[in-house]
Amino acid sequence: MEGTIKSKILDPDGIRRAVTRIAHEIVEKNKGTDKLVLVGIRRRGVPLAERIQQYIEEFEGVKVPLGILDITLYRDDLSTIDIHPVVHETDIPVSIEGKAVILIDDVLYTGRTARAALDATMDIGRPERIQLAVLVDRGHRELPIRADFVGKNLPTSRREIVAVRLKEVDGDEDVLLLERDDDINKS
Amino acid sequence: MWWLKDVMVIDPSQNISAPRDVLIKDKMVLEISASLTEEDVLVKAQGESVETVNGKGKYLFPGLIDVHTHLREPGQEDKEDILSGSRAAVRGGFTTILAMANTQPPIDNRALVEFVRRQGERAGYAHVLPIGTVTKGMQGSELVEMADMKAGGAAAFSDDGKNIQNAEMMRLALEYAKLTGFPIISHCEDKDLAGDGQMRRGVASGRMGLRGIPASAESVIVARDLILAEETGGKLHLAHISTADSVEMIRKAKARGVNVTAEVNPHHLIFTDEEIGITDTVLKVNPPLGSEEDREALIEGLRDGTIDMIATDHAPHTQAEKARPFAEAPFGIASLETALSAVWNYLVLPGRLSLDRVIEAWSWAPAQRFGLTGGTLKPGAIADIVLFDPDFSEVIDSTNLVSKARNTPFLGKNMAGFPVMVWVEGKLVQRDRVVK
Amino acid sequence: MKWQRKDILAIEDMSVEEIRHILHTAKVMKEILMRPIKKLPTLKGKSVVNLFYEASTRTRTSFEMAAKVLGADTTSIAVAQSSVSKGESLYDTAKTIQAMRADVVILRHPSSGSAKFLADILDPAVINAGDGQHAHPTQALLDIFTMQEHLGELEGKNVVIVGDVLHSRVARSNAWCLQKMGVNVTLAGPPTLVPAEMEGLGVNMTHDLDSALPGADIVMALRLQLERQKSGLFPSLREYSHLYGLTTERLKKTGKQSIVLHPGPMNRGVEISDDVANGVDALIERQVTNGVAIRMALIYLLIGGSGNVVA
Ligand SMILES: [Zn+2]
Repeated sequence: MEGTIKSKILDPDGIRRAVTRIAHEIVEKNKGTDKLVLVGIRRRGVPLAERIQQYIEEFEGVKVPLGILDITLYRDDLSTIDIHPVVHETDIPVSIEGKAVILIDDVLYTGRTARAALDATMDIGRPERIQLAVLVDRGHRELPIRADFVGKNLPTSRREIVAVRLKEVDGDEDVLLLERDDDINKS
Repeated sequence: MWWLKDVMVIDPSQNISAPRDVLIKDKMVLEISASLTEEDVLVKAQGESVETVNGKGKYLFPGLIDVHTHLREPGQEDKEDILSGSRAAVRGGFTTILAMANTQPPIDNRALVEFVRRQGERAGYAHVLPIGTVTKGMQGSELVEMADMKAGGAAAFSDDGKNIQNAEMMRLALEYAKLTGFPIISHCEDKDLAGDGQMRRGVASGRMGLRGIPASAESVIVARDLILAEETGGKLHLAHISTADSVEMIRKAKARGVNVTAEVNPHHLIFTDEEIGITDTVLKVNPPLGSEEDREALIEGLRDGTIDMIATDHAPHTQAEKARPFAEAPFGIASLETALSAVWNYLVLPGRLSLDRVIEAWSWAPAQRFGLTGGTLKPGAIADIVLFDPDFSEVIDSTNLVSKARNTPFLGKNMAGFPVMVWVEGKLVQRDRVVK
Repeated sequence: MKWQRKDILAIEDMSVEEIRHILHTAKVMKEILMRPIKKLPTLKGKSVVNLFYEASTRTRTSFEMAAKVLGADTTSIAVAQSSVSKGESLYDTAKTIQAMRADVVILRHPSSGSAKFLADILDPAVINAGDGQHAHPTQALLDIFTMQEHLGELEGKNVVIVGDVLHSRVARSNAWCLQKMGVNVTLAGPPTLVPAEMEGLGVNMTHDLDSALPGADIVMALRLQLERQKSGLFPSLREYSHLYGLTTERLKKTGKQSIVLHPGPMNRGVEISDDVANGVDALIERQVTNGVAIRMALIYLLIGGSGNVVA
């Protein structure tokens, strides 16, 4: 995190409440769990998807199928980034034909990741519908994309960085708002 | 008149290896003395103006004689010609060069011999002596008119570049050449063993998947030619010896009294096949670079006199020809301008060869074997002379080479030790690395 | 790991880490190949040039498919040997390709070292699709990928490569790749085709195939160029196949359910018996898919970032 911490947006309890609420909304909006397939977008979408799966199991008694999506090969900025990004496996263990796929990510910002995830999902199969769930929506969309489920709406400036930390990935558990130290152009 | 003062004279023909003063007058060596006064010199000049050179810290030796150069004229003047080749020679310290016969057409008659000779004289740098082929068109089946070619100025006979595969033809050549007193120079390479090989057969060729030429491709022909020379009493000179087996066989043959001499190329004394990378066509040479064991045997052979002389096998090629995948590039290293410096840096400075032995093997020995003038600083001898500065350093690059070719493994290297003045028949043809 | 290589020329100079990274990336690519829609936008606007101086429909098609799945444009230049002998050198062709502003050039050429030669001249990335008798790195990587699918971790496993090792780029690249992965490799064949100079590869060599078989997890038969008999490298196909042909009976000596691989095309009844060849055939579909996956991985790793974009 190359920035100065301005404020803590969510603490572990806040994250838990937000994710639990998303889990409820997903089931409600889709009128049950029948067609649901949860798909976490690497990396932090994956633990979020696992948590949603667990919450749904707790209050519905059903283990909804869960998959992992790596969108590296679908990024539209490959030739502008300086490194060769490491690709990881995409692993969606069930057919998504006719299903309701819930794409899950930590932050919704420009919408480019979500766009790539939509392309990747549709290359894998033809679901009945695709919905998007994010922990934080920080605005500044560059594409006509919106989230169906949002844990926290957070108006930000472009100079600010939203850092989501989850214990499975980062050890810590919180959402921080940072001010960029220098002007490096990083998305 | 030239007065070369206080210079380290190396002249194996007179066993001189000491500081001396040397006078050059009327195309000849006039005198070599422990020291001369200005008065002595003025008397000897007999009114001629005297140019004085302070030779302190430098070496003076007879101009080198290279018995194996490819000048490519006639026929392949894009690679080299007699003018550019003889300029390269004097830049590198060579005052006499023997031009190999495998031109296009090959030098297989008196008219062509005279042509090469005349072109050398017109150029006016090093003495250029033509080698004639052994067989017509280098086809290996009919002998050339050796006596007539000798009369036209040929210095030896060789089908170099090819080997005379037919043993009977080689035997006849050794017999017939007795009429001329010249040696047959043999490029020892069994065609079937060499196949379409690209480098020495060994661990390096196996690793890179480059087709190998076994050491035996040379050695079996060395054995054959030694036996034929012994049987006929003919005069044999073995070109570019590159294997330990060849050295050992020559040593034994000499002990039996076979009339044989042998040469080695600087690159075989310096590099091995392990140094060849898969795109290093500049090290693609025939015979191919051998093993470390071969290299050691060649150095030892040169030290103990089994190998009589050093020769460059200057083989110029165009950049386009060498800028090809390994198997498609031609064999050869262009070396007239770098060979002496390379031997100085890689063999003399590390103590593997003495400078005296190098000069003996590169001037006196070839002069004797091929019956040439030069190779000595005896008073009255023709003034073919080299002044060598061990401290003069130079980066070998395209801008300063005067040969047409750039196919040298030393390109881009900074080396010290170069000829800085070269006289041919008393005329200064190169000074401070610039050819006049 | 951080990928820094500009070209894929030979396995010999690659690190184990790089090889593992390629295999990992290929696994991802293979998953994509299993999807109903095999088309990615990853390399949209990039161009891949196939420059083949030897006919090889199999390898060329594999590279073309790999490039297309990744979304790149492909151009194939098939250079007949006749035009080479007419004087157009690889150097001249390279200059033309430079002007085409390709991002990757795939080269198949009959001269050992030609891939490195081309890579030294060109700005675009070069992938060696077989250079003379020197190297065929993508074949070795795909073989190892297949072996890994069957055997899991390869360290400590035993592989026997049998046949004309001397003239085989597949054998050389596999020997390097396998020993880097910790595999015990044995080269087997007659002394004329597995000569002493092959010890530079640093693996075991034997002329007695039967003694090498016990414990072999994989046996790889090389294609025997039948014209080698005329140059005296072995006396007859009959004797060759008697000593080195892979038969069901002979394969029992491994004491395992060994897998047999062959880089193809096979001479049935010579280096491999019909029934063993049928087993190899059964693997072919998988080998083809794995070949595309490996080549996708390599193309992606070479130009999937901005590092090699020609400005
Ligand atoms: Zn020769």
